[in-house]
Amino acid sequence: MANKNKKTVENFKSESSPPTGIQVVLREFKKDKLAMFSFLGIIALMVAVFVIASWIIDKEAVMKINLIERFTEPGVSGYILGADEAGRDMFGQLIIGAKNSLLIAIAITILANVVGITLGIIMGYYGGFIDNFFMRIIDFFITLPTLMIIIVVVTIVPKYGITELIFIIAAFQWMSTARLVRSKALSEARRDYISASKTMGTSDFAIMFKGLLPNLSSLLIVEVTLNFAGNVGIETGLSFLGFGLPPSTPSLGTLISYAMNPIILSSKWWIWLPASILILVLMLGINYVGQALRRSADAKQRLG
Amino acid sequence: MGFVSTKELLTIRNLRTSFRIKDTFYPAVDDVSLTLRKNEILAIVGESGCGKSTLATSIVGLHNSIHTKVEGEILYNNQNLANLTEVQFNKLRGNDIGFIFQDPLSALNPLMRIGEQIAEGLIYHTKLNKKQREARVLELLEQVGISNASRVANQFPHQLSGGMRQRVMIAIALSGKPAIIVADEPTTALDVTIQAQILDLLKSLQDEIQSGIILITHDLGVVAEIADRVAVMYAGEIIEEAPVIELFRNPKHPYTRSLLNSIPQTHSENEKLEIIQGMVPSLMKLPREGCRFSSRVPWLDESVHEKNPKLHEVGPGHLVRCTCWQHFYFEDKEGSVNG
Repeated sequence: MANKNKKTVENFKSESSPPTGIQVVLREFKKDKLAMFSFLGIIALMVAVFVIASWIIDKEAVMKINLIERFTEPGVSGYILGADEAGRDMFGQLIIGAKNSLLIAIAITILANVVGITLGIIMGYYGGFIDNFFMRIIDFFITLPTLMIIIVVVTIVPKYGITELIFIIAAFQWMSTARLVRSKALSEARRDYISASKTMGTSDFAIMFKGLLPNLSSLLIVEVTLNFAGNVGIETGLSFLGFGLPPSTPSLGTLISYAMNPIILSSKWWIWLPASILILVLMLGINYVGQALRRSADAKQRLG
Repeated sequence: MGFVSTKELLTIRNLRTSFRIKDTFYPAVDDVSLTLRKNEILAIVGESGCGKSTLATSIVGLHNSIHTKVEGEILYNNQNLANLTEVQFNKLRGNDIGFIFQDPLSALNPLMRIGEQIAEGLIYHTKLNKKQREARVLELLEQVGISNASRVANQFPHQLSGGMRQRVMIAIALSGKPAIIVADEPTTALDVTIQAQILDLLKSLQDEIQSGIILITHDLGVVAEIADRVAVMYAGEIIEEAPVIELFRNPKHPYTRSLLNSIPQTHSENEKLEIIQGMVPSLMKLPREGCRFSSRVPWLDESVHEKNPKLHEVGPGHLVRCTCWQHFYFEDKEGSVNG
């Protein structure tokens, strides 16, 4: 019997059926070479950054101040990308900074989206009073000047590092996801299959997260990807303004903020340019991937 | 036709389901009393907007308590389903009561495999482990006449044909061997040949598990084929209730007679399709007193209707609302009482 079943499954696979899920995404990426290239590039970059930063580079050695080697030009005496005003290796800082920036962005994305998706689904599923209540809270949060509040909190909080930054930024990032998920969940939760699940005695919780959530996945994948690109930018922007990470913790933003010094901006390009290019490439790449995913989620826009 | 037990399985008493429109509650199901016995198929017929589906969804508690008020009694096992909380209801739904939806494509989760969807009820109501559930799913699929069950269990709803999807819906409804099955227009979304198959299936499965079925439909052909008893609904009220043979042989209420009259006859020489004048009044404009059908038989004298139409017993198990049936005649056949 088991053998026979296996056979029928195989037979079925040879039948033609409309492309589903991952197949659509694959086709879309095959058609869009730029997105394909970006995707592979980002993955390679991230793996490289994490591997080099975690195992190959010694953080202590990189961050050691060595005034004799101050402003060494790239390629001279073992400094691949030169050294900064304190004689610290720029390549090492770039890699560690990229790792920190990516970690922060990933953590913010996960945190903000988990909260946003959970709330959005609950609002959309129950509707009525619960929906109204949380929507008003979201409206309130959206009207707040996010940047100002983050800057104030950063100034007030005494001990301040990567974790604190993640929580502060995430606290202002969940609203848009919640709103988006809610709007889709509102229409999806009124479908018959949700009622059908109810008639089977399934609990609300199980319906929301096992029945409803997968049906929002196409929307969510796109949203999360584009959010990720945005979050890389936010952390960098804050650090650039001097409200992100302390200088002892390198991130792409702190590296770019060296360019605030006019001398460095005009004559010591190797200090700020690599980080800027890395940010540009990262955000562009993630956006291209996100757009390809968005097209594959919407049959009208598909290329493949 | 199977043996219909006299034991009452489900008793609905004075059920009123009202929807809130601009802070006023308008009853879509008004003062409905019905009983369902074991191994019986009770058909509820009526045209669109009569409250049939609202009645069905009231029984399984699919109404939002903020926008809908369900009053009266729906008694099952000494429990009033109208007052149950969600948690209490979840113990009954899928286990004691099964529900079959009208459109199987929209009632199946597009992103869940068929097998998982059938197993859903088993997870909550049985102590079967994963292996046993899988076996039960295959058994259920075979029971509803799906030949390569193991393949179908691994497929998604969009990969199945309409008839297969409805079979899957039935398998889901049957998974808990429910005492009551509520089928809300189970054949409407299907073509005629598949309809017949699905009806046969429903009937044969009922013989097996001896449950009572409430069949909501507007297709009198379906009713004649499988029902034991029929309740005709109009504008939220039951206007006639009778055993199926009695209803078709001896319809009393003007609405029932008009409905039967409007079935197209292939052998008839009359090329005109018979229709019922006007339409079901909307929920907000519904007359709250007097005979609700009077607006659609304007040629009858006002005095033939009762002031407060009640159900009158006119034969064994045959109930008719209002007295206007005694004076009813079809408009174009004026004078002949028998139509």
